[in-house]
Amino acid sequence: MANSPNKISRALQRRENVAGYLFMLPSLIFFVGFVVVPMIICIGYGFTDANMNSKTAATTFVGLKNFIDLWQDETFLLALKNTFLIVVVSVPTVCLFSLWVSSAIYHLKSAALSAFRIIFYLPVITGSVAVTVVWKWMYDNYTGILNYVLKGAGLIEQNINFLGDERFALWCIILILFTTSVGQPIVLYVSALGNVDQTLVEAAEVDGATDIQVFWKVKWPQMMPTTLYILVITTINSFQCFALIQLLTQGGSGTNTVMYYIYYTAFKLTEQRGHFGYANAMGVVLAIFIGILSAIQFKLGKEK
Amino acid sequence: MKKLLAVLLAMTMVLGLAACGGNNSQTTDTPPASTDAPAPAETPAEAPSGADSITVWVYPVGGWGDEAKVKPLIDKFTADTGISVNMEWLAYADGDDKVNSALTGGNAPDVIMEGPERLVANWGVNGHMVDLRDMIDDEDRSEILPAALEAGTAADGSVYLYPMFNVAHCMAVNYTAVKEAGAEANIDLETRTWTVDQFDATVKALYDKFGGTVAAVYCAGQGGDQGTRELIRNRYGTKLTNADHTAYTWNSPEVINALTDLKNMDGIAFDASLQGGDEIAKFYQGVLKMAFCWNAAQQLDPNSAGTGEGKTLTGDEIVYMTFPTQPGKDPEEGSGVWGLGAFDTGDAGRIEAAKTFIKYMCDSENCSQAGDISNFFSCRSKAEGVEIKSSNPLLVEYYGKMMPYMGEYYQITKGWAGARTEWWNMLQRVGAGDDIAETVAKYEANANAAAAAG
Repeated sequence: MANSPNKISRALQRRENVAGYLFMLPSLIFFVGFVVVPMIICIGYGFTDANMNSKTAATTFVGLKNFIDLWQDETFLLALKNTFLIVVVSVPTVCLFSLWVSSAIYHLKSAALSAFRIIFYLPVITGSVAVTVVWKWMYDNYTGILNYVLKGAGLIEQNINFLGDERFALWCIILILFTTSVGQPIVLYVSALGNVDQTLVEAAEVDGATDIQVFWKVKWPQMMPTTLYILVITTINSFQCFALIQLLTQGGSGTNTVMYYIYYTAFKLTEQRGHFGYANAMGVVLAIFIGILSAIQFKLGKEK
Repeated sequence: MKKLLAVLLAMTMVLGLAACGGNNSQTTDTPPASTDAPAPAETPAEAPSGADSITVWVYPVGGWGDEAKVKPLIDKFTADTGISVNMEWLAYADGDDKVNSALTGGNAPDVIMEGPERLVANWGVNGHMVDLRDMIDDEDRSEILPAALEAGTAADGSVYLYPMFNVAHCMAVNYTAVKEAGAEANIDLETRTWTVDQFDATVKALYDKFGGTVAAVYCAGQGGDQGTRELIRNRYGTKLTNADHTAYTWNSPEVINALTDLKNMDGIAFDASLQGGDEIAKFYQGVLKMAFCWNAAQQLDPNSAGTGEGKTLTGDEIVYMTFPTQPGKDPEEGSGVWGLGAFDTGDAGRIEAAKTFIKYMCDSENCSQAGDISNFFSCRSKAEGVEIKSSNPLLVEYYGKMMPYMGEYYQITKGWAGARTEWWNMLQRVGAGDDIAETVAKYEANANAAAAAG
């Protein structure tokens, strides 16, 4: 009888666990079915010379050949370089800009705050195709408004071929990516700033801390989980930049990214022997890079 | 309250699972399209009979991209044969992705309309298409344009594309602008042919008059790339593949010299922000004064805008021309051949119905109407004793002036998809100022590597 409360407690705990897992089950089924299993298949295919849908050629195991070939593939290396450039430029700018905007607007009155949130979130909900088409018009080499304005202001004499000139194309894409990426971080930062413990802020102010000191010493540490989430999400999104490339340049003008090159190799080179295995190998390498960077970010975030 | 919430959540969960389960069971109940096994006896009552219903996927080839124009003929087919047709229109941007995904998932359509580079060189040789040889007898062979039939035939003699219509790809000039620039003497309205010197003089006159970009060597992607290929290869008269279409031969003095000429010409821009469709739009808007991505369908309805035959948006007159050549040399216009193919769905009934559809469109008294819809030209002179002739005066004129110059169909060379990418990437590099000879050599080597890997 002495053990009864413990037994009851364990039984309750077990029941709660079972209920918890049951609630997770639908998501888990989708996660396993649409993420884990395809991931395993993808890794498997990466070691083969598979074709996407050939009935005439057998799939054979080629070991690490695809992974070795990648490092001799000029196009892949350029795509990798571009992908890293997008990540290196996009992630810090998105985070800093979001933090700055959030700091400036989070204490505004409800209506004004909502208006700003809508403005910055609009590109996120508009859909990448619509956003991209509008930007394509603005960047147009012949009739685009950007060339019109720059020419009208006397800043340029000849039209700039924004998307057709490799000096500009990737930066134009990074700019669009930036506008579509800042919405969610701003909303998250506004929320995080609103949740900062005001008693700590007031205590710091009473102790004579400056605004900057209050921000970095009191607010910033409390926002670290949000920052970590934003960093990871923005990094993954930047690594997976695809729609903009497909709709604007198809990987031309020096804008190829690993994600686009995977798509191109898997879906466009269907007549080329081993294209599917090669594309899967690229996918594995990209996933490894994303995993490593995310792990580093988690590690640094935890240390902070 | 907690209990109620728990019950609600549990119900949602169960419904979610049921929804997933429902989909799965539906999928398993439907016999896979690729299996040869007959359907179980208990299922046919529910499943649509393959023989009386087919799915047809159509790339937007000429007027066949317009549902309103195609529908009456499809309705007539259904009325005549009792086979209902589920038509779906693909876009060139992602049509291949859709087909490849369908093939992988075993959901390929019964019939598809496109050119030999896809139907023969890709899906055909990869074992996805039905050999249509049995549909073509000696009489058909005498009636079908030999070049078109050859394009639809694989190296082993299998016919994966039943030729339907064809056209010679050409270029176009804004004749109103040319007249304003005082260069109309270079345009022979009777023959519609011209020399490289006449072309260059026209570009110069247009550039001097209007400035900016007269014409674009568009290279943002593979869309409409036949235009740039034909412009470049005709300039000094060369081929881009070897005679038996097994290797690419761009790395020639003719191609290098043509690229050098065009790169150094005022008014010609290597534009990596435009594809063929964009170029047509800019030409139609009057921004560009020449278009290299043109054909009979475009002349009939420029930019598919429905604003009138042979006119730009602003009403300027459009004149179609051959690609310029050296004096005394005949042009070789880009060859466009399209037709129907049947996917090997593994279901004899569906394949039979697909063949019925193909026969109806390509080898019956209806193929005249099918050709008219396309705004191109039927690949055969007669079908079932009925003479096939276009009634549209513009098409008749186009046929007389352009079709005699139609070149061979070389888009069946192995590695074609990869080679097309190498082509527009090469143009981008030339436009960016890279050494032309080195660039051509490098990208030709890449294309040949793709051919070897194919």
